[in-house]
Amino acid sequence: MAAVANMPVSDLLKSFKLKTKQQELLIRVSILCLVYILAFITRLFSVLRYESMIHEFDPYFNYRTTLYLTQNGFYDFWNWFDYESWYPLGRIVGGTLYPGLMVTAALIYRILHFLRFAVHIREVCVLTAPFFASNTTLVAYFFGKEIWDTGAGLVAAILIAVCPGYISRSVAGSYDNEGVAIFALLFTFYLFVKAVNTGSLAWSLASAFGYFYMVSAWGGYVFIINLIPLYVLVLLITGRYSMRLYVAYNCMYVLGMLLAMQIRFVGFQHVQSGEHMAAMGVFFLMQVFYFLDWVKHMLSDTKLFQAFLRITVTCAVAVGTIALGLGMLSGYISPWTGRFYSLLDPTYAKDHIPIIASVSEHQPTAWSSFMFDFHILLFLFPAGLYFCFKRLSDATIFIVMYGLTSMYFAGVMVRLILVATPAVCLISAIAVSATVKNLTVLLRSKNKGVQTGSTKGSSSSKASSKALLDQSQPFQKNGAIALLFGAFYLLSKYATHCTWVTSEAYSSPSIVLAARGAHGSRVIFDDYREAYFWLRQNTPPDAKVMSWWDYGYQITAMGNRTVIVDNNTWNNTHIATVGRAMSSYEDEAIEIMRSLDVDYVLVVFGGVTGYSSDDINKFLWMVRIGGGVFPVIKEPDYLVNGEYRVDKGAAPKMLNCLMYKLCYYRFGEMLTEYGKPPGYDRARGVEIGNKDIKLEHLEEAFTTSNWIVRIYKVKPPNNRW
Amino acid sequence: MSQKSRMAPKPDPQSASNVAAADAAAAQFSMDPFFHILKLVPFSFLRPPRLRLKLPSFSLPSAMTVFSLILLTYFMVVSGFIYDVIVEPPGIGSTQDPATGAVRPVVFLPGRVNGQYIIEGLSSGFMFVLGGIGIVLLDLALDKNRARSIKVSYSIAGISSIVIAYVMTTLFVRIKIPGYLR
Repeated sequence: MAAVANMPVSDLLKSFKLKTKQQELLIRVSILCLVYILAFITRLFSVLRYESMIHEFDPYFNYRTTLYLTQNGFYDFWNWFDYESWYPLGRIVGGTLYPGLMVTAALIYRILHFLRFAVHIREVCVLTAPFFASNTTLVAYFFGKEIWDTGAGLVAAILIAVCPGYISRSVAGSYDNEGVAIFALLFTFYLFVKAVNTGSLAWSLASAFGYFYMVSAWGGYVFIINLIPLYVLVLLITGRYSMRLYVAYNCMYVLGMLLAMQIRFVGFQHVQSGEHMAAMGVFFLMQVFYFLDWVKHMLSDTKLFQAFLRITVTCAVAVGTIALGLGMLSGYISPWTGRFYSLLDPTYAKDHIPIIASVSEHQPTAWSSFMFDFHILLFLFPAGLYFCFKRLSDATIFIVMYGLTSMYFAGVMVRLILVATPAVCLISAIAVSATVKNLTVLLRSKNKGVQTGSTKGSSSSKASSKALLDQSQPFQKNGAIALLFGAFYLLSKYATHCTWVTSEAYSSPSIVLAARGAHGSRVIFDDYREAYFWLRQNTPPDAKVMSWWDYGYQITAMGNRTVIVDNNTWNNTHIATVGRAMSSYEDEAIEIMRSLDVDYVLVVFGGVTGYSSDDINKFLWMVRIGGGVFPVIKEPDYLVNGEYRVDKGAAPKMLNCLMYKLCYYRFGEMLTEYGKPPGYDRARGVEIGNKDIKLEHLEEAFTTSNWIVRIYKVKPPNNRW
Repeated sequence: MSQKSRMAPKPDPQSASNVAAADAAAAQFSMDPFFHILKLVPFSFLRPPRLRLKLPSFSLPSAMTVFSLILLTYFMVVSGFIYDVIVEPPGIGSTQDPATGAVRPVVFLPGRVNGQYIIEGLSSGFMFVLGGIGIVLLDLALDKNRARSIKVSYSIAGISSIVIAYVMTTLFVRIKIPGYLR
């Protein structure tokens, strides 16, 4: 101790001084730690503003199943038949969901309880998505390191930590499959690219298990099982076949396929479904390549080999086509399902499947959605592609293909911007890293100016240009410094934009609505939860609630009552029955409701608050879906000259249908806005047509404080009349 | 391994005759069963004419050709081409001036983030591609094997492209979304 105290301070500091390599490691680790924390905290806006609750619709189902899993154990969860939704059909939950998310959250919950942190499962569910987003940044760092170098890895981690395209589906509270699935997707891709680069069996096995996790987490695994064969095909075409590729793909495909069949929802689709046939085709093609390579190795005669090559390729292609044709004709191999087929042919859903076309997330993407979600990454993406093409390798070919295919799909469907985000961030990181490297090389070239002038290119080897080079050194260095500041400015604008978008656009729990009051104060509408808790506390436990399918999951999770249809939308006829009931006159509707044993009807109405996502605005979809199955319901009956109206000039069928009556019951006496007549609908901006509404078979049970949710009780049939 | 990229069709008459001519000196030995069948069935009595045709051999395009094609596709995707095809918005919108009754054009579709007119989509897409090309030009400018004047002009073009693209894009977003960054 005394010896240490006797040392002068400068010696003490020198003993702490790190070598350059250690300095670099310290910088890298500290950047990654900061990025990890940043990715977590930028997703916490809604938790800080409102409270820790689950957002949207789908996460409520996931929350309910996770609750069931933690209370009843895995085997009960896996074999669960849910009789509380889709009355009277029920739903086989174990066989119709992707268990990855629930099992992950339950595992985290158990680990925390083991460490004696007694948290509620809801907190774990709310914070699962930000936690996995932080893990995704780490995977992005390693992936960037694999593709380009550590600088690109760090930039990729930073970009993906705040990118709004990813944040939109992984805020705290958004407890949905995508939060975990994007981590699994990037992890699987990283492991596969590592396997192709090293040719090691261990990495290939790891990528198979990564694929298994992805299959258990999200239906979007179809993207992986089609992108990787496409990538292998491109490598084969560009002449990059190698033993590493053979080992990696074979191991991943066979083991991944076997593991994927363990998920009941997926079942045997890997051998039966048309969407998975590309992987099988490429698998057999790889065997043909290996066989040809081996024959070439054995044969010494090239002409003989050419002929053999031609015969083999012809036979292989012919056999493959015949097998595929037989499979499709006999019906063993099912064609592409509507959801994925509409990605290849975007006009398909509009004409044939109204349920898919009605979801706003499935609309094609406009330029402003791209700008909102990507900002300057849209500039960096083509530049990054250029750098990748300059330095082609197995890994860069993969990231280029991932980027291009995912950008195309992002253009077809807004929701898929999420899948494109990691690719765009990685490619942009390559652009940033390469440009910054070029600029800093300029900055650092002060001493070597004379030598580089003489060794590089013929045009600069003249003696006069050496003097010019010395003259332009400070100019170049100033220019490089200015450009570096410009790059820093752009990136800081990116960070500002991302934080603003996160705070304003993507942090709203749709279940709680907020608006600006008269003096700029924030007004909160908590009507949904008010209605669900009323249902929970004031109705008999076996009551059945009919509503449009959007609210099904929330009613079952929070109201704890049986619903007729919910967001799973697996049975189109059942939904069409509900749609028909909502669009019929009250006398016809009551017959349908009695046949379904309905006790309560729940509608969402935005006329008092100006809330525009209410049932009256969704009504035409109910008509279309109902009319798709029951031709009694015709859409032109509800329109006037092709226009959808609710005021005096509306169609008579519209003014007397069940949905209209339930939404506008007693609304005719309501004064909603100063200076407007009573019965002024603020969401449509018109005065309603039919103010004097009398209900015969239903009675009003509950209306929330801002009239957003209205619940009606179905009266029992008359005893005597 | 480039020979693997050629998918061999059934040997057509010309190539059969070429192979036959080339193998004339060799011992007429061929492993190809199709060749033997064809030698027997039509071509024992039919005489193919002497033509100088070559099978078109296709070689893979260079990396930069592929890159320019990809840039074009990127431009189309990012300007909302698929949105235009499916939703079929008008090329440019119009509103009526309440005072004078004149019809004025509206370039940016107001009100929603995920909606556009065709022209606004194409111009924004062009700005994005311009920014990307600006960065590419900057990298080309830093390549040491060129004359200094070309390097200078590339770097000026690159910097101005990036600046223009960024400024215009921010302007477009501010027009489209009135509450942007406030």
